[in-house]
Formats: sequence, structure tokens, C-alpha cells
Amino acid sequence: MIGRITPAMTTAQVLANINTLQDQMDTTEQQLSTGLTINQPSDNPYGASLALQLNSSLSSLSNYSNSVADGTAWSTAATSSLTSIQSMVQRVQELVTGAANGTQSAADLQDTGAEVTQLTAAIKQEANTQYNGQYVFSGSATTTAPYSAATGDAYQGNTSAVTREVGPGSTVPVNVDLSSLLGSGSSGPGGSDGKLLDTLNTISADLSSGSATAVADLSNNQLSNLTGSLNTLEGLQATAGTTQDRLTLASTRITGLQNTDTAALSNDEDANIASTYTTYSNEQAAFTAALKAGASIVQSSLMDFLSS
Amino acid sequence: MTIPSFTGYQTALSGLEAAQAAIDTTGENISNANTAGYTRQVVNTAESSSLQIPQLSVQGASADLGTGVDITSISRIRNQFLDTQYRAQNSQTSAANTNSSALQQAQTALSDSPTSGVASEMDGFYSDWSALASDPTSSSAQQQVVSDGQTLVSTLNSTYQQIQTVQSQAATQLSQLTGANGQVSQDVSQIATLNGQIITATQAGQSPNDLLDQRDNLLDSLSGLAQISVTADSNNDGGVVVALANAPTTPLVSGSTSNWPQTVSASTGGQLGALAGLADTSSAGTLSPYLASLQQVATNLTTGVNAQQPSSPFFSGTLGGTGTAGTSTGPLQVTATASTIQTSSSSTSGPDLAQAIGNLTGGTADQSYAGFVAQVGGGVQAAESTQTTAAAVLTAVSNQRQSVSGVSLDEEMTNLINFQQSYEASARVMNAIDTTLNDLITTVGSAGT
Repeated sequence: MIGRITPAMTTAQVLANINTLQDQMDTTEQQLSTGLTINQPSDNPYGASLALQLNSSLSSLSNYSNSVADGTAWSTAATSSLTSIQSMVQRVQELVTGAANGTQSAADLQDTGAEVTQLTAAIKQEANTQYNGQYVFSGSATTTAPYSAATGDAYQGNTSAVTREVGPGSTVPVNVDLSSLLGSGSSGPGGSDGKLLDTLNTISADLSSGSATAVADLSNNQLSNLTGSLNTLEGLQATAGTTQDRLTLASTRITGLQNTDTAALSNDEDANIASTYTTYSNEQAAFTAALKAGASIVQSSLMDFLSS
Repeated sequence: MTIPSFTGYQTALSGLEAAQAAIDTTGENISNANTAGYTRQVVNTAESSSLQIPQLSVQGASADLGTGVDITSISRIRNQFLDTQYRAQNSQTSAANTNSSALQQAQTALSDSPTSGVASEMDGFYSDWSALASDPTSSSAQQQVVSDGQTLVSTLNSTYQQIQTVQSQAATQLSQLTGANGQVSQDVSQIATLNGQIITATQAGQSPNDLLDQRDNLLDSLSGLAQISVTADSNNDGGVVVALANAPTTPLVSGSTSNWPQTVSASTGGQLGALAGLADTSSAGTLSPYLASLQQVATNLTTGVNAQQPSSPFFSGTLGGTGTAGTSTGPLQVTATASTIQTSSSSTSGPDLAQAIGNLTGGTADQSYAGFVAQVGGGVQAAESTQTTAAAVLTAVSNQRQSVSGVSLDEEMTNLINFQQSYEASARVMNAIDTTLNDLITTVGSAGT
């Protein structure tokens, strides 16, 4: 036990108490102004490390989220091209159906043939659709146009899948193999491949020749070829639709995980403003009391009460 | 036998002198109430040897007549055990202060927030690869990977260097303290001088309170610098032998001779020991584990990324490396350029390499960095709590010492009144004796006239 108390001890104690309280207020004030309970790692080493890991996790989710957004945009570009191609093929189908009944004059057939040729060019144009500077129908050779004027009908891309990573180890192919529909015309390795470009070229040739054999070919072979192509096209559209669905699902899952991580992060490092403010008020009251008590205890001594 | 006529004067005078000495000492105490290291003093008094008066009474018995008071000494009120405790605790507190402030300084190097610092830059770097995987041929995405890689490397390097700076600052401070005109050298030589003066004075029968206070004050200051042992010398002449606690056989001060410099290591304790530990660049140093952990972060980063860049590595060197740039022992740097980045392992595989690097987010490098942050934070937290505890104990010991040695003004005022009244009373006694003698002389002298 301390027997004697000297003014130096009292002064030191008062100062030490005021310092301690001020230090506490300082910490609380920092928490209030930053809104965080962890302002440097030493405030809560485990919490600080957890916060970094949660931030990494959020960053990784945001990568996947960007990847999903990019895949969705890619897939949307592809879908809209497929829709245009579909309507153009349907127009060709109408024209061929009209021409195949044998009632049109040679000049009309020529005009129809010219329109088909233009539609063919437009379909190839659609096949060269780009998203963000990349060709969406070239397989993984995204910098090569699938069809160019210089190489005619020959498909220049490959058939590899373009994928987007939507979660750890989970990839979604976002492209469709349009070459399975369009083919390489008659410039493929085995000559004519019977695919859409080949069919369209034959139709154009048939229409411009206008002969009875050619017209018969239209009704006998080419109409069914077109129907086959439209079926293939629908298959491609279904694939693109599935891709969109998978990306939407992935996006929902990522948003859920982001919410979980954000909540965990907030729980880990965010200050509870209400309780922190209450603490701050308590500390302020204690500080005021300490100042008041300190001022009166340091001021008075025996001297105040001795008569001279 | 009779009582000598003037004995009473001497008795009263000794009372006056004792009271005056006590008042003067009280004055000294009040004057030095706020002097650092001052020890309150008291006047020690004893009864003077009595005057034996034989056959004072009719019966012939003798009696001992008191002759007043003797001032035997003016001594310091001080407890040597509390001094020893205080000095031991002072070493620990000052070591804890030094460690805590150095580690806090190292911690500021991390400056991690969601938008800056190694962690967010590392995540940003991995995100760039992920973006590159979505658009492998974009030259802006390639450039982004390279420039964010360079930013990350420069942040890692500067974090590493800031911790190294704390090491080198500790080394500088240590050499300033221990140097030829450093504080240790000055304290030790002053203690030796005072010790010599105290021995001389004590041998001459004096009690050099002021010198003793000064020496104790310097010993307190020295105990903050290093853990010291203070023992009375064998001659019992007031001198002390001062030695570093980890080298008791080679005293710093013995008699009036000082012996400095001596070897300083982490086991020296106090501020010097803490600084020696902080400045130590070997694996035993206080900061070395942090540097090693940060190097591990860099190794995890470079190994992970370079593994996915088989034909030309993205990073080269090691964090903190001092060898030739570009070699494995050189400084950590980005060797890749936008044109050497590989995104695919084969022409048909798609951007698998870029994707793989993007997937390193949250991987070993991120985890080891989080571990590093927890390690530094834990280190600082431990140092701060050691410091708080040590400071609290030091305050307690210091209060105990103050309780014994400190000046209480209320007490001094009370004493002052007491001594003042003693003085007045002694003066009154003197006056009474004087009146008595005067009466005797005048009355007896005028008999018959």
C-alpha cells in the first residue's frame, strides 16, 4: 500500500488518466470518422488478414462478373446476327418458292437471282459480326474475319470454342459454330459441301440460267436444302439461348456470393456507428469528469487553509 | 555540587539550532519539490549526552541533567530496493517503447486499404489477366497487365525497403547512443566522476546528499538505455559498482574509473538491446521474420505467374535481391513486355494461360500476404500491449518510490509550523534563563544597598 501521497504523484496520475482517456477517444474518433474498426493491422491482426482475403474473394468474383457480362454481350451479338441471317434465309426461301413454280419470266428469274446474290453477300457480312473488335463467328481465331472478299466462300476461322470463366473451373462456351451452317461454299477441301453458302450459290446459278432443269433443281433440291439450313440455324439459336441462360444463372450466383462476402467484410471491419457513438459519448463524459476532478485536486493544498 | 549557571543557554541554543536546521531542510525540500531525482531530506537529531551532577540532592544522590539536542545527520529518505526494481522495470519499459514505435513505423509501410497497397494491387493485376483472357489480342489489355505488374513490383519493393529503413534507422540510432560522445559514454563517465567524489566525501565523514541524488538520477537514466546492475562496493565507502547485467565481470563504473565501449547485443536489454535487435539483419533480428514473409509473398506471386508464362518469364529476380538485374538474385522486376506476354498455350486452346493467371486471385500469394499482414499486425499489437503493461508497472514502481522519497508540500508545511513553534519555544526558554540570571545578578548584587 502506498502510505504517503505527494503532489508529484497526484499530478502524474491525473495526467496519465487524462492521457489514457484521450487515447481512447482518439481511437473511437478514428473509428467514427473512417467507419472502420480496423484502421491498421494491429487493431485486429486476424480481422485485417480476413478483410484482405475477403477483398481478394470479392475481386475474384468481380472478375467472374466481368467475364459473364462480356460473355453475355458476345452471345447477344451472336444471337442478333443469327436472327438477321434467319430472316434473310427465309426471304431466300420465299423467293425460291416463287421461282420454283415455273411461272416467272427469264428476266424475273434473273432479278430474283441478283437479289439472292445480294442476300448471300449480306449473310456473309453478318457472319463477320464483331464484338469489341473480335469476330464472334471465327472460333478462337477472333482476329480473323470468317469470310473475306479475298478468300471467297472459304471459312477462315476454326471450330474451337470461345469460353468465358464464370466460376472456379466453370466455363461457358459463348460462341456458336456458324461454319456448320454456312460451310465453305464450293471452295472446301471436298468441293461443294452442300451447306448454306453452297446452296445459295447454286440457287443464284440456277436462277441466272433460268433453264427448265435449273428451275426443277430449285423445287426438287434447293428448297429442301434451305429448310435443312433453317433447321440447323434454329439449332444454333437454341445453343446461343442456352448460353444466355447459363450466363444469367452464373450472374445470379455471383451476385449472391458477392452479397455474402460483402456482408462478411462489413461484419469484419465496419464500425457499428450507433454503438461506437455511444462509446464515444461515454468516453467524453469520463474525460470531462477527469478534467474537472483533476483541476480541483491539483489546485488545493494545506496552504489554502493556513492563516499567514 | 551545583548546576553550572550557563548550561541552560547551551541547551536552549541547541534547540534553536536544531529547529533552524529543520526549518532550513524544510525550505530545501520545498525548493526542490519539483526537481527531478530529488530525494526528500530529514534532520536526524539525538539527545545530547547528559551532564552528570553528583550529590545534587541533600541525600547526596547524583542526577543526569539533559543538555539539549544534537544534530546527528541530515539524511535522504530513499529505499534502495525500490531503486533496483525501478531500474529493472525502466529497462524493460524503454525496450518496449523502442520496439513498439519501430514496429508501428514498419506497419505504416503496409498502408493497406481497399484501393491501395500490395493486396489490392495484386488483385488488380490478376483482374487484368482475367480481362486479357476475354480479349487476348487487345494491345491495351496487354499493356495494362505489364504496367500493373510494374506498379505491383514497385509497391512490393518499397514496402520491403521501408521495413529495411526501420532496420537501418535503428542501427544509426544505436551507433549514435553508443558512440564516443553518445549518451551512454557521457552517463558512464559522469557516474564515474560522481562516484569518485562521493567516495572522497564519505571517507571525510560527510554525507554528500546532492551528489548521491545526481548519481541516482544518472543511474536511472542509464537503466533506460541498458539493463544494469548496481552494487555497493566492497569498501563500504558510498561508492557503487555499475555493470551491464549481461556482462557483470567487466564493470562500466568502478570507483572513479569508467569502462566504455562494451559489446552491445539484444541481450543488453533496455533501449540499446531493443535497437540492437531491430538493427540485426540476420535471421535472429526483430524485423527479419517480416522481411522473410514478404519475400515469400513475392516468391509465391512470381512462381505462380511465371509457371503460366513458359517461354519467357513475366517476373525476374527476388524481392530485396542485390545481384545483377535480370538474374535470379537480382532485384524483383517485370521482364515481360506487352509483346512477350503469352495468353494461350497453343493456337487452339484459347486464352488458357491468361485465364489461369486470372484465377490466381485469392491464391497462395494473396493468402501469404494476408498472413504477412496478420503477422505484422500481431507483432505490433503484442509490442503495444507489452509497452502498456511495462509502462503501467513502471508507473506503479515509480509511485512507490515517490511515496517514499517525494516531497509532500502539505507535510512540509505541517513540519514547518512544528519547527517554527519549536524555534519560538527554544527562544522563550533562552529568554527565561536570561531573565532568571538577570534577576539573580540584579537582586543579589543590590542586597543591602
